[in-house]
Amino acid sequence: MAEDKTITLTLKVWRQKNAEDKGHFEIYKAKDINENMSFLEMLDVINDTLTLNNQTPIAFDHDCREGICGSCGAMVNGVAHGPVSGVTLCQLHMRSFNDGDTVVIEPFRAKSLPVIQDLVIDRTAFDRIIAKGGYISVKTGSAPEANDTPIEKKKADASFDAAACIGCSACVAACPNASASLFVSAKVSHLVLLPQGHAEKKRVVQMVDQMDKEGFGGCSNAYQCQAACPKEIKVENIARMNREYIKEKSIR
Amino acid sequence: MLKLSTIQKKQIVGITGLAMVGFVLAHLSGNFLIYKGPEAFNGYAKFLHDLGALLWMMRAGILASFLLHMGFTINLVITNRKARVNRYYKYQNHRSESSLATQLMPLSGSIILIYIIFHLLDFSLADKVGIIQGIDYGLYGLVINTLKDPIHAVLYIISMASVGLHMYHAFQSVFQTFGLMSEKNQPRLVLASKVLGVAITLGYSSIPVYIMMNF
Repeated sequence: MAEDKTITLTLKVWRQKNAEDKGHFEIYKAKDINENMSFLEMLDVINDTLTLNNQTPIAFDHDCREGICGSCGAMVNGVAHGPVSGVTLCQLHMRSFNDGDTVVIEPFRAKSLPVIQDLVIDRTAFDRIIAKGGYISVKTGSAPEANDTPIEKKKADASFDAAACIGCSACVAACPNASASLFVSAKVSHLVLLPQGHAEKKRVVQMVDQMDKEGFGGCSNAYQCQAACPKEIKVENIARMNREYIKEKSIR
Repeated sequence: MLKLSTIQKKQIVGITGLAMVGFVLAHLSGNFLIYKGPEAFNGYAKFLHDLGALLWMMRAGILASFLLHMGFTINLVITNRKARVNRYYKYQNHRSESSLATQLMPLSGSIILIYIIFHLLDFSLADKVGIIQGIDYGLYGLVINTLKDPIHAVLYIISMASVGLHMYHAFQSVFQTFGLMSEKNQPRLVLASKVLGVAITLGYSSIPVYIMMNF
């Protein structure tokens, strides 16, 4: 069996002790990195060396490492989740880089998503938006019969596509206005397309108000979010949110 | 401002923008009368003036649209800049997702604003006197004499290119803002927006080109 190819990279990593610290870039050499490692595994290797040298390892969020939890994420060479589209940072592999490359690693930045440490950001603003209506109220108990409520295939598909949002905040990070429109619209679309989501249809107004209150910017239709989204959520959802918003505002 | 949400503010920007697209098209159709000669052109100007109160109502409408459009845009830009205080050391724009026209909206908008001020001074507020070969052709002559000057003509064409560029992004953007865009109709709306932008630029620019070639 052939040996795995290895590459050596220069990493330029954002280091920030805590929320108050101003932060700065630190240069690290990533030597003999196996191409088949994920980006996070590469950081693990760097952190092992840092720990052995009595230095503070680079803090980064991660959990499932299979692209569904929404914990990880950073700007890699100016692109949210790195150069491969449709994947999260943990799904990015080192074969996407060339030997000798310099890789700039920065946290997702936005006023409403402040850095806690290094690459870790505070995403509780998203939780507060969800608390304003990103849910449905149903009786708990045994699961209902799957086909009790017939739903049009087209609507079910659109709802499912929107439900793929993992709340990683890459959309905010990539947006020139640090707007959370794609995130909020994905949640609104996911629920409003299904009959179960109709009881709390006013959610769109409450969630948008909370989004504004959190200090996220407005949408300028630049669609950077759609390009950055690891779950390939479409800006069509933002149009749906705008539509639902008008409907809910004009009913009252 | 007034406790409106960012979505509502953007809707005001969109609807007033759309009103101004209507104005720009109506204005262009009036301008085309220059090709029919001084009587037709000046006659149309006289017709507009004779509308009296109705003309002032239209002027008030377009002025209100203009002020609301600019006011809410500035307000939104301030909100957006505040949200994006933390800038990146390195940031790559996904060009395919965000056209140059989108990124240049602040620039094209600013050029249009400056242009409007000079346009009002050059034509609307100026004495309607335009002497060509000893004869006063009124507004018709004024337009010819102003745009005969190559500097005026070039600045005019740059301004009209800015209007076109602004619309290149803006027209389709209104549909997104009002929730009428879907993945299915997006390519058609984007195309319509591009065609509109190019048509407006070419339409307006044809006039100084015609004047420079014939006078």
